[in-house]
Amino acid sequence: MPNVEVSLKDMQKLLGKKLSLKQFEDAVLYAKGEIDAVEGDKITVDVKETNRPDLLSAEGLAREIRGRISNDRGVPKYKIKKSGVKLLVDKNVSAVRPKIAAAIIKNVKITQDTLIQMINSQEKVCLTFGRKRKEAAVGIYDWGKMKAPMHYRAYKPREKKFIPLEYKAEMDLNEILEEHPKGREYAHLLKGHKLYPIVEDDNRVVSSMPPIINSQVTGKVDEKTRELLVEVTGHKQDVVETALNVMVSAMAEREFDVYSVDIVYPKEKVTTPNFKPKKAIVSLKEINRISGLELSKKKALELLAMARYDAKEKGGKIYVEYPAYRQDILHPVDVIEDIIISYGFSNIEPAEVKVATVGGESKEAKQAKIVREICVGMGLQGILSFTMTSKEKQAKKIALDEEKEEFVEIANPVSENYAVFRKRIFPELLEFLSRNKHCLYPQKIFELGKTLELDSGTETGTREENTLSIVLSGKGFGFNAIKSALDAVSDNLGIKYTLKESAHPSLKEGRQAKISFGGKKGLLGELSNKTKQSFGVEQDTVVLEINLP
Amino acid sequence: MNLNQVIASISAIEKETLKALESEKAKGPKEIAGDANIPLDSVRRAVQWLKEKNLIQLEEQEEKSLKLSPAGKSSLRKGLPEKMFIEALQRLGGKAALEEVKKESKLNTPELHASMGLAKKNAWLTISKGEKGVELGLTGLEEALLKGEYSLEKALNAVEAGEEIEEAERKELLRRGLAGESTIVKRTAKLNQNGLNAMKMLSTVKQRTYNVQGQVPKLFIGKKQPYIQFLEQIRSKLVALGFQEMASPLTTQEFYNFDVLFQPQNHPARNWTDTYQLKKPKSGKLPPNSIVERVKAAHENGWKTKSKGWGYNWSREVAARVMPTAHGTAHSARQIVKGVEVPGKYFTIARCYRPDVVDATHMIEFNQLEGFIVDESFTFRHLLGMLKQFAIEVAGAEDVKFFPDYYPFTEPSVQMSAKHPKLGWVEFGGAGIFRPEMMEPLGVKAPTLAWGLGIDRLAMFKLGIKDIRYLFAQDLDWLRKSEMVSVK
Repeated sequence: MPNVEVSLKDMQKLLGKKLSLKQFEDAVLYAKGEIDAVEGDKITVDVKETNRPDLLSAEGLAREIRGRISNDRGVPKYKIKKSGVKLLVDKNVSAVRPKIAAAIIKNVKITQDTLIQMINSQEKVCLTFGRKRKEAAVGIYDWGKMKAPMHYRAYKPREKKFIPLEYKAEMDLNEILEEHPKGREYAHLLKGHKLYPIVEDDNRVVSSMPPIINSQVTGKVDEKTRELLVEVTGHKQDVVETALNVMVSAMAEREFDVYSVDIVYPKEKVTTPNFKPKKAIVSLKEINRISGLELSKKKALELLAMARYDAKEKGGKIYVEYPAYRQDILHPVDVIEDIIISYGFSNIEPAEVKVATVGGESKEAKQAKIVREICVGMGLQGILSFTMTSKEKQAKKIALDEEKEEFVEIANPVSENYAVFRKRIFPELLEFLSRNKHCLYPQKIFELGKTLELDSGTETGTREENTLSIVLSGKGFGFNAIKSALDAVSDNLGIKYTLKESAHPSLKEGRQAKISFGGKKGLLGELSNKTKQSFGVEQDTVVLEINLP
Repeated sequence: MNLNQVIASISAIEKETLKALESEKAKGPKEIAGDANIPLDSVRRAVQWLKEKNLIQLEEQEEKSLKLSPAGKSSLRKGLPEKMFIEALQRLGGKAALEEVKKESKLNTPELHASMGLAKKNAWLTISKGEKGVELGLTGLEEALLKGEYSLEKALNAVEAGEEIEEAERKELLRRGLAGESTIVKRTAKLNQNGLNAMKMLSTVKQRTYNVQGQVPKLFIGKKQPYIQFLEQIRSKLVALGFQEMASPLTTQEFYNFDVLFQPQNHPARNWTDTYQLKKPKSGKLPPNSIVERVKAAHENGWKTKSKGWGYNWSREVAARVMPTAHGTAHSARQIVKGVEVPGKYFTIARCYRPDVVDATHMIEFNQLEGFIVDESFTFRHLLGMLKQFAIEVAGAEDVKFFPDYYPFTEPSVQMSAKHPKLGWVEFGGAGIFRPEMMEPLGVKAPTLAWGLGIDRLAMFKLGIKDIRYLFAQDLDWLRKSEMVSVK
């Protein structure tokens, strides 16, 4: 979940109210925010809503909260002036990254803090809403260093050179993708394309290579910058425009002046940013059916205004308009949630659930209970191990060929210790013994749990077994002791078994057997000296493992 | 302790030792061990205990003891020189010159002369002068010597065997250097007056009593693993509240983990770092096409749900990929696709996986308590009511607070904090009403209230642990010592 760093002082200014930290903590709940950390004046807010990039800035949070705690309600109105600047889109970008939206910001009064916040906000928009720059990548430039009209066109990798941000020398587009850290991180977004997109001014001075990197020349902004160009590229016009609205409306909250840019595509012209509110319809009946709040029409309209909607009721239907920086409203339920948040969760009386149903455990849980009771009756200590484990434990340490054994295997393990799902439990119990050699013997342990194998016949391609493993370790435990345990399980479950001599390499020759247990498989026997050594187990040790029918 | 208590505390070996001393004679440990027929070690311990209980007195006596010298040992082996001398003479026919006897007997000159003197003194020998010089002859009285009746020879054997010998022989052995003398301290035990009294009473006392404060061996009973105990009790709670348990496979198709839950395929939460992916198997099978097509439409354009959808091209291949279950809601999704009863209450205890580094507060494998309730009459207020009931019934909470929250598959969404009497305010669960884009394509129109409770924190509290890894404890001592878990 994204974090937003704000300063309490700045927040108070943006909110127009001197809220205490505690008051701010309560107020930020309206924006699904939670205070994560406080360091002096700096507050880290964890915004739980990952679908509202407009909340990922101090300005956005303040705007959302103001609706609930002050009279600044309804859709925020921002003034847009015409700049007359054109951004000409070449048709050769259509294959790689066809869409762009832009705005010019003037009267910029920027401090070091706001600058950092703007850049953070830009990155968060790219990460969440922009799907890691794939759908939307934002660029902010020093407009004072650029010459209109702007151009958005694509170049061959070796055809264009510029100095990427924080670099000193010019690099061609290929070099950037191969050598620049951001280039390497995002190169996959341009993979397979013959031409790479470039935003540049009329003098062909490069602003950026979206969605990779800005140029050092115009892409570097600081507190002395007075005029900005904001640009968003992507694959869909509505997406890039929403992202632009998120960025620009936050700047408008700071009372910077917003100027539009004419985007000239080969066959059409769009003027951005476009703050025209979006529309949705929701019925009062639906609001009350979902919320259970029995709201009046008037109350519903008031709560909507607090959530920064403009709303009108007509014939039981409520026609709402919501700000152009929001894109998360897919369905009327999204509007209804905003109404409930305005109402305040703490003001809602919970309703008792009176519907009566008959409960029941799963078959598997019922069986597990019985099998565990049998094991406890035998005086065994229950163990619980992870179902993710290592190939080494599951194969090599029990004398099986690591290369030949097939497992349900993790593609992105964090550690080799948890890289496959266990196929059998007894190696995990042997590992347990090896960690407890200092404890009193005999050690008699069991685990009942799931094991997993590859099986192309199932819907998940894996087959789960409910597996019981018993391990006895201490002086004098032999084949007969573990066979007695098998008998106890079999007799008490009323499931017959048959045994056949076997040759499992982890068990002693002639002191082991394969089990057929109600149609399922198993094995039992005395642990071989080699396996004992591989786990560092010194005592006489016998194992049983059966899949339960 | 009075005498009765003392007698009552007497163990079996102490009793046998007392019996062996009943004759009032002082005895050493060896002697007692022989008489009582118990091991020497046990006797030594019993003697120590009886002394502490003041039933016996210990005495020490100095005793002189004889031991054969190397010369004595040699004589024991080869025979005394005087015997060798007589035997040689006998072999020479009972009459022979001194020189011949010397040769035959292999004695040296001093031995020869001493032997001659002794033989003469014992009247075994006649000495005369003949043609060859001194001639020796036997008298017939040497018979006893040759039959082994010689008193000094017997004394040698007796000393070697540790037996007593006569004073005359003792002096002779010492004089001839065949034996030496040393002083040893002999410890003996003897009943004292207390002991004598105790013996009289012993027959009337039947059973010894125990020191009830004493240490006894630990008994390690068979037990269920503590976290399993906890989960079983949680399961019983849910069943008692009318919930039906759902299946909870370890692996799932992404379809159930994400797609049914209306999580777009290009959403950052679906990427590599937030969830585990599988190398083998890569993909599984999707449910019947009718359902898959509706889910696809919901993602792309909202289907018939009045939603806009996410507006992208949904891929079957991505949905069919198999992954370790990342959250319990995947099982709710599977259950709803399979079919649910309305009204209905469902739950599962799901083993879930998330890539992380395992430490005291993080696990890659953990359990989630998840479920949903469904009925035409349910509203958001019922969702809060249900959460409150869970907080009170399952966690023993005193109070609850609700906050707005976000889940991709629920709208509205809520987070609950519960005030636990010991833990204070704890984030206890997340919940919400499943989105229409999720439910309507699956054919369920009734409001479905989904919830998930964080039970690991509660389990840690119940188990009294600070390190989350102890839920899967690898420490046998701790497991053996852990108390039975109770959920109130």
